[in-house]
Formats: sequence, C-alpha cells, structure tokens
Amino acid sequence: MALWTKGMVVDFWFVVALGVVTYVLITRARAGMKIPEIRKIAGLEALEESIGRATEMGRPVHATPGLGGISDPETFAFFNTLGYIAQLCAKYDCRLINTNRNYLVHSVNEEIIKQAYLEAGRPDAYNGDDVRYLSGFQFGYTAAILGIFAREKPAASIMIGYFYAESLILAEAGAQIGAIQIAGTTSTAQLPFFVAACDYTLIGEEIYAASAYISKNPVLLGTVVGEDWFKILVFLTIVVGTVVTNIIADPKKNPLTNFIMK
Amino acid sequence: MRKELPLLVTILTGLFVIFGHDFAIGEKWQLINSMDKWQSISQAVALLIGAINLTRIHVNHVRRRKAGYIFSLLLLVCMWGYTVLGVIDGYKGVTFRWVYNALLASLDSTIFSLLAFYIASAAYRAFRVRTVEASLLLVSAAIVMLGRAPIGEAIWKGFPDWANWIMRFPNTAAMRAVLIGAYLGSFVTVLRILLGIERAHLGGVGGAGMK
Repeated sequence: MALWTKGMVVDFWFVVALGVVTYVLITRARAGMKIPEIRKIAGLEALEESIGRATEMGRPVHATPGLGGISDPETFAFFNTLGYIAQLCAKYDCRLINTNRNYLVHSVNEEIIKQAYLEAGRPDAYNGDDVRYLSGFQFGYTAAILGIFAREKPAASIMIGYFYAESLILAEAGAQIGAIQIAGTTSTAQLPFFVAACDYTLIGEEIYAASAYISKNPVLLGTVVGEDWFKILVFLTIVVGTVVTNIIADPKKNPLTNFIMK
Repeated sequence: MRKELPLLVTILTGLFVIFGHDFAIGEKWQLINSMDKWQSISQAVALLIGAINLTRIHVNHVRRRKAGYIFSLLLLVCMWGYTVLGVIDGYKGVTFRWVYNALLASLDSTIFSLLAFYIASAAYRAFRVRTVEASLLLVSAAIVMLGRAPIGEAIWKGFPDWANWIMRFPNTAAMRAVLIGAYLGSFVTVLRILLGIERAHLGGVGGAGMK
C-alpha cells in the first residue's frame, strides 16, 4: 500500500519545509540574530489611533470577526488582533462592543477580552454584556449590528475576518455614523467593498501578520519572513509553470503538473 | 495547566488532521470522517448548553423586570415555540416551513436588499476622480458595467470583449495574488498555533502581547 494519499506528497513536504524554515527563523530570532523587517501596514498602525479617537469622543469601539466559524483561519487572525484591541480599550477606559455570529467564536472572544482586561489591570472595566452573540443568520447578525450602530454610535469599527454580502452593508452603515473603519478580509469578492467604504483595509495576508506586526516580537516576525520566502518560491513555480505549460501543451505530459499532483 | 492542556489538544489535533489527510493509512481508517463526527457531537452539545444558558439569562431578565425584558420574553417564546413546533410538525412540516419562509426568509431578503442602496453610495465614494488610481478604477468599472449590460453592446459591440479581458486578466491576476498571499498567511498562522507561538485563542493578548 502506498504511504501517501494521492496528490498529497508535495502538500505534506510543503508543510514540512515551511515548518522547518519557520523553526530556523524562530531559532535565529531567539539567538538574537537579525531578522529582516516587514513593511509598514497602515491599517494596523491606525488601530491605536482609532481607539484613542473613540476615547476622546466618549463613544465605544466596535469589533467583529464576521461570519467565519471557529475553524476558519481568518477568525484566528481576528483573535490575534482582538486581545490587543481589548487591552488598548482597557488602558484608555474605552468601551468595547464585540459582536458575533458564531456561538463558539463568541465564547472564545469572551475569554480573550476578559483575559486582556485582566492583563491590563482593569478586570473591573470588563462588561460581559458588551460581548454579544447576535444571530446565526447572516442577515439577522447584520441587522443587529446596524441597530447597534444606530443606537450606540461607535466611533471606531474594526472588522477583521471572513465576510460575505454583509460587508458593504456594515461598512456603509459605519461610514454613515462617522466611525473610523478598519477592515480586513481574505475574501476577494468583499475586498473591493471594504476598500471603497472603509478608512483602512487589510488585504488578504496582512490580517495574519497582525500579531507579529503589533508586538514587533522577533519570533513572530520570523514566521512572517518565512511566509515571504515561500511566496517567492510560489512565484518562481508560477513562472516555471507558465514556461513549461507553453512548451508542453498536454497536461498529462507536463512534468511540473505531474510532480505537484503526485 | 489551564493553557498547556488546550495547547496540547490543539497540537495533537493538528497532527491528527495532517496524518488523516496526507497519509494513505489515515484515509483508509477514515480519520477525518471520524473527526467530523466528533465535531458534530461537540457542536450539538455546545448548542444545547447555549440554549440552556440563553434560557437561564433571559428568564432572569423577565423575572427581575430588567429594562427591555419584553424582548427577552419574545426571544424565549420564539426559541422554544419554534423548537416545539419543529418537534411536533417535523422539519419538513408545512407550518414549520411556513414560519421559516414567511418570516425569516422575508426578513433576510429585506436586509439583503439594502445592499443595492449601499452599493450606489459606496460606488459614488469610490469613483470620485481624485487620483490616477481612482480614475483608472472609474474607467475600468464603466467598461465592465457597459460590457455586462445589454445597453453596452447596443452602444458599441466591443464593450463585452473589453469587459471580459479586464475580468479575465488584470482582475484575475490581482485576485490570485491576494489569494496566494492569504493561503500562505493562513498556513503560517496555523503553524504558529501548532508550534504554540500564537496563543490568542486561549485568552488574553496571546502573541500580540509578547514583547
């Protein structure tokens, strides 16, 4: 019997190689060796500014992970940012409203926010009623957020995660109440809406770099650099693939396709 | 142990999934299927706990006559009323379906239809010609819209071809670049979680708080 599932050999070794590169970069970072810097991400730079503005205006900050479930990587990108947002809100004594569509994500967010307030030395400022499960229905969740926007008028709205058709409804409603909006998603169908309606947009991979970027921790930065190296590898594969496909028209005889599909 | 145990469970689950997916023996033993079953069971239990918790909170609201308690009452009636109806009528029952189609589907469509108005206001903001990029966006969007609507072809036969070219080449190239970056980003995030570097999901500021 074959050792690998068909089509998964390259997949497995790709994971292993990425793991090894990440491990090497983490080790280098821990040893105090130089790690290349990552570029400036305006949306993440603006997080503190937007929370500061909300504090000055005496209005709350709204944060939501969108429709993604607990197993979506985009939701984990939100988790990585939420702790930082909650800690800033606790530090500035600014109210944070977190809205959720998924009950498991809601539980995790509750724990993250509670712990962040505790770590900031403000456990008394944590209000469990502001971590809200709204509805499992896409537009029930959307309508509930529209209601929160109309009633509580948050001065900042942070939307990082996986969004579908509700993205533009939320972003436009936020723009109408004058909130600073920072959005981020990997959904290519919703990115144009966020770009059009929000002040800052984190495009695709930028949402995953949040925790590394915010903390400037060399260990986390090392993992982002490892990702960039693999991006170069993928780019080279695309170039080679384009050349080989133009020379060998039959996909069954294409060595690169056969290797990847092994 | 409060953080170590969930971390261990995360790492073991990650390795289990990789083994189930990539190795032939994992496929033979149907590891991923068994995992899906476990997930369904866990979710069903979580749903039950959620329903009980929700009932407890809202019964307290009603009993203490808290502000807006009438909405708590409405929630309890809807939640348990619809559950009871589902049990009596069955999920394919006429009344059960009618409540869904006449109430929930209509409400859903109402909110969805807001999108048409919001698209207009967002398009106005995005298409204001202030920079070179905004001008390019305006021109390409105008071509795509004219190419996709029958009136475009009536004005000039070349519009559909131009629109298709924009969608197939520059648009697809940009979208794929974003997707490749996003896949690699999610990949690295998963690795960070598996290696225990990223711990935000276990509460607090996780990796972002590390200085």
